[in-house]
Amino acid sequence: MHLFSRKKEGAAAPKAEKKDPLEIFDFSGDNAIVIEDVDLYYGDFQALKKINMVVPKLQITAMIGPSGCGKSTLIKTLNRMNDLVEGCRVEGRIEIGGVDIYDRRLDLSALRKNVGMVFQKPNPFPMSVYDNIAYGPRTFGVRSRGALDEIVERSLRQAAMWDELKDRLNKSAMGLSGGQQQRLCIARALAVGPQILLMDEPTSALDPISTGKIEELCGELKKDVTIVMVTHNMQQAARISDKTGFFLLGELIEFGNTDDVFSAPKHPETERYITGRFG
Amino acid sequence: MEATSAQEKKPVRHGSKAKPGEVSARVLFTACACLSIVAVFGIIGYILYGSIPAFREIGFFNFLFGSTWTPTYDHFGILPMLVNSIVVTLGAALIGGTVGVFTAIFLAFWCPDRLHLKYNGKNAFLQKTVALINKINLRTIFDQIIKILAGIPSIVYGLFGLEVVVNLLSNVGGDGKGILACSILLAVMILPTVTSLTKNALDAVPKQYYEGALAMGNTKAQAVFRVVVPAARSGIISALILGIGRAIGEAMAVVWVSGNRVLFPSGLFSYIRTMTTNIVMEMGYASGLHRSALIATGLVLLVMVLIITLSLNLVPKEFKGKRGEKVLRGEGAQPVAFRKKGHLSMAAAIFGMVCAALVGIILATIVIYILVQGVGCLTADFLFGEQSVATPTLGPAFLATLELIGITLVIALPLGICAAIYLNEYSKKGSKFVKVIRTFIDALAGVPSIVFGLFGNILFVTALGLRYSVLAGAFTMVLIVLPTIIRSAEEALYAVPMPLREASYGLGAGKVRTIFKIVLPSAFPGIATASILAIGRIIGESAALIFTMGTSFNFSGSPAGAASSLAVLLYVCAGEGLFMDQAYALAVILLGLTLILNLIVYFIERHVRKKR
Repeated sequence: MHLFSRKKEGAAAPKAEKKDPLEIFDFSGDNAIVIEDVDLYYGDFQALKKINMVVPKLQITAMIGPSGCGKSTLIKTLNRMNDLVEGCRVEGRIEIGGVDIYDRRLDLSALRKNVGMVFQKPNPFPMSVYDNIAYGPRTFGVRSRGALDEIVERSLRQAAMWDELKDRLNKSAMGLSGGQQQRLCIARALAVGPQILLMDEPTSALDPISTGKIEELCGELKKDVTIVMVTHNMQQAARISDKTGFFLLGELIEFGNTDDVFSAPKHPETERYITGRFG
Repeated sequence: MEATSAQEKKPVRHGSKAKPGEVSARVLFTACACLSIVAVFGIIGYILYGSIPAFREIGFFNFLFGSTWTPTYDHFGILPMLVNSIVVTLGAALIGGTVGVFTAIFLAFWCPDRLHLKYNGKNAFLQKTVALINKINLRTIFDQIIKILAGIPSIVYGLFGLEVVVNLLSNVGGDGKGILACSILLAVMILPTVTSLTKNALDAVPKQYYEGALAMGNTKAQAVFRVVVPAARSGIISALILGIGRAIGEAMAVVWVSGNRVLFPSGLFSYIRTMTTNIVMEMGYASGLHRSALIATGLVLLVMVLIITLSLNLVPKEFKGKRGEKVLRGEGAQPVAFRKKGHLSMAAAIFGMVCAALVGIILATIVIYILVQGVGCLTADFLFGEQSVATPTLGPAFLATLELIGITLVIALPLGICAAIYLNEYSKKGSKFVKVIRTFIDALAGVPSIVFGLFGNILFVTALGLRYSVLAGAFTMVLIVLPTIIRSAEEALYAVPMPLREASYGLGAGKVRTIFKIVLPSAFPGIATASILAIGRIIGESAALIFTMGTSFNFSGSPAGAASSLAVLLYVCAGEGLFMDQAYALAVILLGLTLILNLIVYFIERHVRKKR
């Protein structure tokens, strides 16, 4: 309920202005995501404790920490995929593009269109490559063949897969390799034009070469989208991210520039974790 | 001991030489598994053999494409009935398929566990009722509704069709009988098959697809209808095909509502006769060429059903891509603005809810109607009266049904369990031989009851000289329940954890010993379930028993004597319209037995689940 009362404090109400109902977010500021005092409970278990962080626009923010530390939970609250978990309760405030995403009047479709997600396990649909990428735009009412073609090509190029796949657009996406499937999923997410891309351990199911390609891709993508990535792999975080947050037992222990976190961690736990003493 | 000495002599060899007991057990299990193959070929062979005179004298072409059927003038053309069967089946697939698929979608994605009704009034009774309703697990309820619908004997559906569906439809057109009535009844009969198989297929779709769609901004309904349902496509198609196979072979549910005229269909209420009803109506008194023509009708039916069953194997299991290459012509295309969509999917979701409610209403209507009409008919005269040739009483039919169940199970259970043992314990994964056996088990399961009846009549009643008898009925029923028993026994064996077997082997026990001492006892609840399902099938069967066990009111008590089973007695009582009270009483009894058997299965399964 208090989510509602905070409404008056100045956040742009989704339907306050007559805009495109899908484009309610304003990403003109420097911060893509602002997380304030977020507590999250699964039933009685508190999975996140008073999280505060600000994710800057058009950068890669990595979340690291041992299993069960809450990093995946947090990333799933950012596009409200946690709504699917029974007994999940979020308190506090998460603002994306100036909009409180736990406002009751928020349109989930609009949120998830703007905040895309790539999952741990590649999950292409059992359809052709083309239909996978055209899927999102189609569900948003794009029917014209030319427009769909254009989106498919652009998304594949953006995901650096165009040359690989342009001759097999009609083939089943299930026949691609794991790494290709994952990049296809990235292309699929890009096809609906998200401003933010959440990646939940996107390379943990992949081989080193595929992982390298995805990391490279992320570096390219951050020109256009803000990336928030959960990773188990500290080197990965160190290699590609601009900001790093270290989580432990549901708390955000340290959050800052990746270089600082890795070279001069402020907290002893962070240091112990990145030097490999636990986790 | 022997095993160790053998290993000492030949240390290189992995695994020990099998003992003779092990070998003969293996042979026995394999033989039982092959029985389905023998049965299917036997049925085809005998039915074909019985049809030869018809094809020789009438001519294959004249038989299949002739449009008059007047046995008195030796006119035997089945084209109208063939067309009717197909039309009615397609009608059933359209109605039952739609309702079944959408019900399954609702059950898989929207059905809440519990209702959350609120009542703030002061009426204590209403408060209690609301609290009670909120306690009910809706998913379990729907699960049970589907199972009960599947368990209700087809002859009870037939009675319901004659007395309720036809009367309701007569307000719309004609006297209600005909194509629409048949289609509706068959639709109800295939509903459970379509619904449960579709739900299985939907449940098997990886959750990641659903999540992936939601993460792109899909509404729940969009994700379900645009990703999950297409991903379950092959399972849904299989469900529909099985439903079609079931509908085309069903006889008893439509025998009273078809109107029984050999005419081509001309409208929703035109009187028709299907191939199945043709056999049921005339087989009792046919002889010579007429009899052969009826058997040939059965052959046509059998071939159609076998083709339908075998076509299941042709349904592609996974998406393999589209043909040809895709060339994009998107250059210079105007960008199109995204809009919020999903109204159609939402409407489909609501339609699913309506369908599920409809399924519940159908069952409730059948149960309430039969109870209201029938409970008063359970008179002492009928229940405990002396048997006589003139009026039906419960006693002989009850005794005959018990004997039928006993003999059938004594033969079918060991055969079925041994076959299941072979399939689960001995066969290699992906072996072609096992694939063949499974195909034949499926084929046997798909053979229409009425064809089993013809086969039993030709082989057991006539060729083996058993005449109309409980024994002939039981032998026929063995073949009918065998697939059910094999499948559920196999499931039960499959559920026995592998480590149990390994522990037994680890202690030096042989395979046979492990199976009988460890695996079978652990699988006991599942095997009990298999028996109960078989009992349900036996109690509900009528088409196969009319021409193997006979239709007499009295019964000598000997397995060699003729008698009506409960379901057959219902057919006889209502068929002539002379004993409607007794028919309703029997319907109540059959319905009651169905409910009780379902309840027993439910409690066994719950018991097993709790133990795990």
